[in-house]
Amino acid sequence: MTGRSMVRVALVIFIVLMVQQTIMVALRVGGTHPDLLWLLPITAALLDGPETGAIVGFWSGLAFDLVLPTPFGLSALVGCLLGYVTGSLTAAMDPRATWLKPVAALAGSVTADMLFAVLGAILGQQQMVQVDFLALFLVVGVSSLVLVLPVNRLMRWALAGESNRRSLVPAHTGSRAW
Amino acid sequence: MARSRRSRRTLTVIILVVLSLSLISLDLNGRTHSLTSGVKSVANDVYSPLRQGVIDVISPIGNFFAGAFNYGSLQSENEKLQRTIGQLRAAQAERPFEVNQLKQLLALQNLPFLQSLPTVTAQTQYEYSSNFTATITLDKGRADGVDVGFPVVGSGGLVGQVIQSFHHTSVVRLITDGQSKVGVTFGNQLTGIVDGQGPSNSMTADLVAPHTPLHKGERMYTSGLDAASFPSGIPVATVRSFHTAAGASQETIEVDPAADLNHLAYVDVVQWAPPT
Repeated sequence: MTGRSMVRVALVIFIVLMVQQTIMVALRVGGTHPDLLWLLPITAALLDGPETGAIVGFWSGLAFDLVLPTPFGLSALVGCLLGYVTGSLTAAMDPRATWLKPVAALAGSVTADMLFAVLGAILGQQQMVQVDFLALFLVVGVSSLVLVLPVNRLMRWALAGESNRRSLVPAHTGSRAW
Repeated sequence: MARSRRSRRTLTVIILVVLSLSLISLDLNGRTHSLTSGVKSVANDVYSPLRQGVIDVISPIGNFFAGAFNYGSLQSENEKLQRTIGQLRAAQAERPFEVNQLKQLLALQNLPFLQSLPTVTAQTQYEYSSNFTATITLDKGRADGVDVGFPVVGSGGLVGQVIQSFHHTSVVRLITDGQSKVGVTFGNQLTGIVDGQGPSNSMTADLVAPHTPLHKGERMYTSGLDAASFPSGIPVATVRSFHTAAGASQETIEVDPAADLNHLAYVDVVQWAPPT
């Protein structure tokens, strides 16, 4: 990642953190609110491959860990794994496929939440598996489906100029970037 | 070429995973926890004013729409509040005698009385920052006399306990959180433990002998026994249902929080640290 991209990615992480902690936490349905964190590594991995996905996942997770009461480093670990796995699993797929982003956002967010809860419980935070998982998956899954496009647009701007770009196709092909 | 890129990618991920695991270990280790909490404290001191600034900008818009859509319910809630204020005024007039008696009794047992303890009134900044913990964040921190371990009361009973304290903010674990355990007393000097089961599940009272006589609505108070995390006499929960299953070693009791945890705009932090 270039220095310019790193600064832009940091800015995107900060914006998403602010939106999460001011607007999303207030949108509680069935005791659960949307979770934008996981969309950062997912979109980074779709745009620029598993390595960038893992790096963005680690730093965004770490930024969220600073303000969350859960164990420090846990979001970074899950974000890093999520970015890497998303990038690896979608490497052979056509990045312009319209179904790819929503499906990756839905499956990735739900899987990340499950992994986050299980790892937290393994680390002694038993309360993390005492949540209503059905409500959690519904709220996080549906909100990720809706919000993946704006987050993807932000991440696309942040990663513009990266050499590993996969879905930032030239404009003359007529394909939509998102 | 592709192979070297793949190995570089794998190496990057391994380094990041090891780094994450190291941070988790530092945080969970009692001796190094102060390092991570120090970093969190600095980050929160920088982040909280920024977050508050954003909220100050967007909240009038949100309030306008909330007020427009919920005008009817706000009006009926206002009427209910007026009625409650009237009832509380009447109850307050009868309290001094009972309070005096309770003070004397507790003084005899050498137990702290909540009303003689100093408190810090704090405003709730936001609730449930994570989907996996039942916590609230207050606008008071170490600089205001709020420290880790202090009990938090409000809305009719015990709300929780301070688990993180930063310069001007603090995080409170609610009694409904799965990690919360509160020693309680009820009835005729009976004791038990009220366990949080997560924000969307009912709390339970455990370690109560089978067939213990109870009644629905019975109040449970903090016991304040040796090495307790809370001073005695704070209302914790009321009994919702109870039964003893055949062959069970304890009674199954479901309880509701005494405090209204849905309305925690303001709370009192009691400046009382658990004995070490």
